[in-house]
Amino acid sequence: MSARLAALAAVVCLALAAGAARAQDRLVVFAAASLRNALDEAAAGYAGPRPAISYAGSSSLAKQIERGAPASLFISADRDWMNYLQKRGLLVPGTRRDLLGNRLVLIAPRNSTIKLTIRPGMPLLQALGGGRLALGNPYHVPAGMYARAALESLGVWESVKSRVAATENVRIALALVARDEAPLGVVYETDALVEPGVRIVGRFAASLHPPIVYPMALIKGAAPAARAFAAYLGGRRARAVFRKYGFTPLN
Amino acid sequence: MLLTPAELEVLGLSLKVAVTGAIASLPVALLLAYVLARAQFPGKILLDGIVHLPLVLPPVVIGYLLLVALGRNGLLGAWLAEHLGIVFAFRWTGAALAASVMGLPLAVRAMRQAIEGVDRRLEAAASTLGAPPAAVFVSVTLPLILPGLLNGMLLAFARSLGEFGATITFVSNIPGETQTLPLAIYSLTQVPGGDAQAMRLCLISIAISLSALVLSEIMLRRARRRAQGA
Amino acid sequence: MKLEVSIGKALGAFSLEAAFASEGGVTALFGRSGSGKTSVLNAIAGLLRPDRGRIALDGEPLFDAAAGVDVAVHRRRIGYVFQEGRLLPHLTVRQNLLYGRRFARGQGSVSLQKVIELLGLAKLLQRRPHDLSGGEKQRIAIGRALLADPRLLLMDEPLAALDAPRKSEILYYVERLRDEVGVPIVYVSHALDEVVRLADTVVVMSEGRVLDAGPVAQAMSRMELRPYLGRFEGGAVIDARVGEQDLEMGLARLDFPGGALYAPDVDALPGERVRVRIRARDVSLAMVRPEAISMLNLLQCRVVAVGEPAGASVDVQLDAAGTVLIARVTRKSVAALGLAPGVPVYALIKSVAIDRRSVGYA
Repeated sequence: MSARLAALAAVVCLALAAGAARAQDRLVVFAAASLRNALDEAAAGYAGPRPAISYAGSSSLAKQIERGAPASLFISADRDWMNYLQKRGLLVPGTRRDLLGNRLVLIAPRNSTIKLTIRPGMPLLQALGGGRLALGNPYHVPAGMYARAALESLGVWESVKSRVAATENVRIALALVARDEAPLGVVYETDALVEPGVRIVGRFAASLHPPIVYPMALIKGAAPAARAFAAYLGGRRARAVFRKYGFTPLN
Repeated sequence: MLLTPAELEVLGLSLKVAVTGAIASLPVALLLAYVLARAQFPGKILLDGIVHLPLVLPPVVIGYLLLVALGRNGLLGAWLAEHLGIVFAFRWTGAALAASVMGLPLAVRAMRQAIEGVDRRLEAAASTLGAPPAAVFVSVTLPLILPGLLNGMLLAFARSLGEFGATITFVSNIPGETQTLPLAIYSLTQVPGGDAQAMRLCLISIAISLSALVLSEIMLRRARRRAQGA
Repeated sequence: MKLEVSIGKALGAFSLEAAFASEGGVTALFGRSGSGKTSVLNAIAGLLRPDRGRIALDGEPLFDAAAGVDVAVHRRRIGYVFQEGRLLPHLTVRQNLLYGRRFARGQGSVSLQKVIELLGLAKLLQRRPHDLSGGEKQRIAIGRALLADPRLLLMDEPLAALDAPRKSEILYYVERLRDEVGVPIVYVSHALDEVVRLADTVVVMSEGRVLDAGPVAQAMSRMELRPYLGRFEGGAVIDARVGEQDLEMGLARLDFPGGALYAPDVDALPGERVRVRIRARDVSLAMVRPEAISMLNLLQCRVVAVGEPAGASVDVQLDAAGTVLIARVTRKSVAALGLAPGVPVYALIKSVAIDRRSVGYA
């Protein structure tokens, strides 16, 4: 009996050692949550090794990279978080570029009959009817920060800021509205387009908020395969996929 | 119910993390259980309390503490990475570590009970037959507590399978590396139309955890029968 | 083999102060429950650490408080047969028997075959402890202790947990052990029969103290000890040799210096030595030789001492050519017959009173 236990222990130790010694050989990409469906499809069409893509709020991802997460490529939903990493010298110089653009929309559950025109002083609070406005966290998640900027421009932020359901990333806000847990939400147009459970109530003019730009950059210590993948994402095939989902590919 | 390759990857990773976590915690849990069961020393109650912390603290706190201590830039983590090449942060080894820390109190409790249930007179008898203390432990104590040990390991394993807060805080959510079942389900709930997939993973999760719990209960009964069989 | 014990220990409300020595054979520690016998045994084994004193085996100290010596249990090479057996439940009988073998330094003076044959274990080897009878467990416990090659064997009331038929069975095996294997034994018991049958030396204990130590016959007959021996009924122990077996009548004649005793149910051949216990209450006295009575046993004696009265009765110590005998009679009779030291009397003992339990075999 003890011999069997010893053998089992030996096998486990070997496995652990092997696991620990093996170099990080898989390409890891950190991408903003809103990129999910589009980037998955684009990556599926990539001829090279399949990358592991971790989706979360850009703020969470940037923090993880700062703590040493093994991401080779980072696609943020706003410039601020990319700047955050650049300031700390965590990007490979010369690899940063703006990849995509997007638009902000106001959504409601599919069966909702809310009608609202987006203009200064709009009756947003009344439209909520006691419910909450689903947003990415307006203080650190890009989608939430864009939404706050827009609502501030429209002069309605003060009235609704205490009625906000702040989420860790924009897709959670999308899910809240889709499940009828929140009567209204602010997400990217690309999110609304992939979720059949919501309908777009109105679009926010681009002038109401800082331009929505998705920068992409290689992280210091990136795997060699990252460059090829980044190049692919900027290429014709990938751009077509992004366009299909409602993103605006940038040059 | 055939599993998709993605589901198999998640399942495989979860099992790898949970099994490794459970086995890695075995020597630590056994040592702690033995000390708490048999030794008398000042501060014993404090040790008992510390061992039980992962049961009562928010998992996120545990994950954060692990990050501070063992992250790439952490107090111990930096040294380990540099001198021994051992990295926990953002790797499945870190997920296994988080899992084993969360499961430790359960393992220690079960093992401690098993050790306390050993008839010390049997150990005394073995001594009179000439067995030195180490031999007594290996040839008498260990076989008698074995079902209790397995019970503890299985409980820790079941707990590890469901570990979320500490994992996502310490090693984040990287598919193929740290995305265990709970993290995968969490991600799927954010994917439009992902509910069906999330439910499938939930069912798999329930099936495995239930099996582990049933098995651990069987072990517990076996342990009781052994204690009375003397 | 020489065992020297002289120890003291405080055990809660009870304090142990025991000193005795023994020269091999079977040494019995005898006394009521709670008199400290098992504590002494545990101290010899090393399972109990005395506060002060010394324990030595063949001159080698196992424990010496002054010199700071306390040999570890597993190094003492002292076998221990516990009251409740303590077989290892996860091993087979065979594995239990051989457990101590791998730690035994020598080849072992006793072989596995010999032990199996001695204790009748052949059919039990592949069984597991949990479905064995009490008697079987004890035999295995004895065998296991033997096979660890001990220089001394300790036995703690090994018969206490057994019923009457089982007791006889194990007693028989212990006697064989004593006779066929050379290892000295320290045997704890509160049952006088066992002590009388097995022991060469007896150490009488009460409340943590040794009251007396010496050859069995001598200790048993000392009347001052009577109150300490609990339910022990005063009596004498006589070493005799079987002179003749009358198979037709079912009686044996047992010869000893003071005369002859007739007893039924003696399972020994002429020439073999036996040890007979005569209860004081079975001995009657006569001033003249009686005639035409049923009692077969008639011994000429002289009164040595008249003891303290206990209620209506009193014990009278007699001497039959060097052998001690004790008679329990009424105070009234003592007065009526004028019994006093020096007076010659006849001791009468019913043969039937000398039953199976009173006869032990050497």
